[in-house]
Amino acid sequence: MKIHTTLAAAILALAAGTTAFAQEKTVTLYSSNPEQAIEAVANTLKEKAPDIRLNSITGGSGVLLRRLEAEASNVQGDLFWSSSFNTVGAFEGQFQAYESLELSAIPEKLRYPGNLYTPANVHVVVIMVNTDQLGDLPAPRTWTDLLDPKWKGKIVVADPANSSTGYTILWGLHKMIGDEELKKLAANVAVSSSSSAVQSGVAMGEYAVGLAFEANAYPYVDGGQEEIELVYPEDGTFITADFAGLVKGAPGGDAAKTAFDVLMSKETQTALLETSFRRPSRSDIEVSKIVKLPEMSAIKVFDIDEKEAADKRDEFLKTWQSYAAAGAN
Amino acid sequence: MIRASDLRAPWLWLSLAALVALLVFIVYPVANILTASVSGDQNGWSRLLADPRGLTAILNALILASVVTCTCVLIGVPLAYVTARYRFFGKSIIALLPLITLVIPEVISAQTWLMALGNNGLITRFLRDIGIQLPTFYGWFGLVTVMTFVYYTYVYIGTVAAISGFDSTLEEAAQSLGTSPARSRMKVMLPVILPSILASALLVFTMVVGNFAISMILANRLPLLSVVTYQAAVSEGGAAPVMQSTFATVSVVMVMLILFLNRWIVSRGRFEIAQGRGARPVPITGWRGAVIGLAASFIVIVSLVPLAVIAVGAFTVSRGPVMQWGNWTLANMERVFINAPQPLVNSLIYAGAATLIGICFSALVSYLIIKKRNAVTPWLDYISSIPLALSGTVLGIGLVVSFNSGWLPLTGTATIMVLALLVRRLPFGMRSAQATLHNIPNSIEEASISLGSPPLRTFFKVVLPMMGPAIASAAILTWTTSVSELSASILVYSGGRETLTIQVFRLIGSNLMAYASAYGLVLIAVIIIPIIVATKVFKIDVFASK
Repeated sequence: MKIHTTLAAAILALAAGTTAFAQEKTVTLYSSNPEQAIEAVANTLKEKAPDIRLNSITGGSGVLLRRLEAEASNVQGDLFWSSSFNTVGAFEGQFQAYESLELSAIPEKLRYPGNLYTPANVHVVVIMVNTDQLGDLPAPRTWTDLLDPKWKGKIVVADPANSSTGYTILWGLHKMIGDEELKKLAANVAVSSSSSAVQSGVAMGEYAVGLAFEANAYPYVDGGQEEIELVYPEDGTFITADFAGLVKGAPGGDAAKTAFDVLMSKETQTALLETSFRRPSRSDIEVSKIVKLPEMSAIKVFDIDEKEAADKRDEFLKTWQSYAAAGAN
Repeated sequence: MIRASDLRAPWLWLSLAALVALLVFIVYPVANILTASVSGDQNGWSRLLADPRGLTAILNALILASVVTCTCVLIGVPLAYVTARYRFFGKSIIALLPLITLVIPEVISAQTWLMALGNNGLITRFLRDIGIQLPTFYGWFGLVTVMTFVYYTYVYIGTVAAISGFDSTLEEAAQSLGTSPARSRMKVMLPVILPSILASALLVFTMVVGNFAISMILANRLPLLSVVTYQAAVSEGGAAPVMQSTFATVSVVMVMLILFLNRWIVSRGRFEIAQGRGARPVPITGWRGAVIGLAASFIVIVSLVPLAVIAVGAFTVSRGPVMQWGNWTLANMERVFINAPQPLVNSLIYAGAATLIGICFSALVSYLIIKKRNAVTPWLDYISSIPLALSGTVLGIGLVVSFNSGWLPLTGTATIMVLALLVRRLPFGMRSAQATLHNIPNSIEEASISLGSPPLRTFFKVVLPMMGPAIASAAILTWTTSVSELSASILVYSGGRETLTIQVFRLIGSNLMAYASAYGLVLIAVIIIPIIVATKVFKIDVFASK
């Protein structure tokens, strides 16, 4: 008998535990951002909306978006965070427009048409240099410095077909330096399958130079790896907003919207800047007061038309493939 | 033939229930893969033939698997021979070998090798300083090196078992008949142990074809079957799984052929050693002993380096991706146990459930197959061995495609995680249970029944206890391999359901080596503690059944 009562008590306790668990609202975030960035979001969410539990699925942005598309009949994700205009554009059908409560703090020129997506942060393209691996080569100051055949095999860039980072960088360069010069660059670069392999490759000294987003390269400088330097090319660099979106039919419902607002809030964006060096999309945060990064106004920017980049994606990828194949020989 | 008496006993009904389970969770997913490859506007096969990258990937997988199989045999067989036949300095650490392959996550092995032999690796830099330029580690060089050091132990384990089982009096007989020692070894011992070597070599071959983690990190621009399969799987998702299914089918057919070859070799080269008297290891000293000892220890130490890196990394201070070697902290461990313990909890629950269900299922079904044959049981035998032919990626694809939506939507549940582990490791339990059941005489059971005990009770009271030790050893194997499973679970997991291996894979992807090491170290502990308890406390020979 005694065993039975203990068993019954255990079952009751278990049942009580599961109901308590059910009252906690769950929001599933599909994120292409590194763990430490996701953690920063989870932490502010814990403070601002303690009843929401954040789960995350991570992977390349293309991979996650296609997964959302595949799951359309049985939606699993609530939020997607984040990718560039040229990548999210192809997946508009999977998302619902949402005017975040925080939208007013975000400059209009960064916003997505109809607020189907909301810009979460701004990326700046940099040349990440490992000075120990330069050998006799001088550190590059401009993009054209990298076209010299002496750089062959020393530069790494992410595959534009699988990484929006890679696409943004190579599309921008194609617009800025032109086809002939891009061909020369293609002969010099190694292509990695993911953008995170670019930073780790340069940090480990596998490559002397990597083409990366500032936010992903700077942690190595901040971590105290002295041979790592970020170069903002003097001939101009590219910026791109990273967009987040609310998934159509998100199972989290209102909790998903709350989590989305928290993601865009000043607290989260400041935390993201502090912990993972992402420049905010909000205009009310002064970057250089919080981290040792230059203000946007001090960086020379070459404007690119994000819509054109998105529309001509397939065409450009083909061109790049042919350059890369020619360069490999 | 089904007789009326069969319908009254529980066995036929149990067989049918088991068959239904196997049909739903093994045959249906595999059938879905095969049909999906020929569905859609343009079937996968014509697209494959038109895609040079896909064909190269298949060819590369075959080349890689052949090369790694050869290198594994070249390292594993001599190492097994010297450890089985000689005693020398340092031999005791070679006893650690079988554990290594089981416990070190492949992602961490690959990462560690990069630290040594990558463009900026310790060895690469040293050689470059003295004027030797190594080829790049990304691609063939790295894949062959890392996979060789991960997989040679399978050849080693298989060969050691065969040599220890070999009756050395046969060799003595050959010598007393006038054959030279070397020649008698070649003529008498080799034919007896060859089937075991070949069988373990083929196992290595199939594992290289299906390898996911090392290929993902090191293949880089080299197309490989497992990588293109995974990429197709994540890019197509579960909605229109044409190319992933085509690649998966190629891999299934390839591994099937190898398994048939394996079965043929084993059935052909059967030498029964009636009462083997294994050779006593002879001590070997002097310079020959030193050379053998050094060579063997070198191999073992090289395989142990990743373990050391994890152990150090787990307690090293880091700031973002930068490791501050030499500064120690408990913060990484605190994270695993206090701040983010979910992966640990998930791993324990999913692998625990998979082991429990898997072992119960295999004990019962093996009993049916061997002791209660009926029209259904041969099918149970065939179907339950299918997972041997499925790489983790293929199984993951099958499950996602089959249970994404429709009549049994499991996507996003814990069930599909358990299912992935359960199906993938089912053959371990089955093989081990069947092997023991063959050795339990029917007369014992008949005696119990004739004394008035009903059949089911006899199974629980008489047969099951006799299977005990084998079940325990199968349970440990299932547990260790389930906890370390990555390639199937990474395709089926959903938010909040990540396991330790998935977490390690994700953290390495984010370049957070310190956290990855901490989770990796806990993963190793979760694997190794049951093995130590089993071998030391319960005296179970974990590796004998392998």
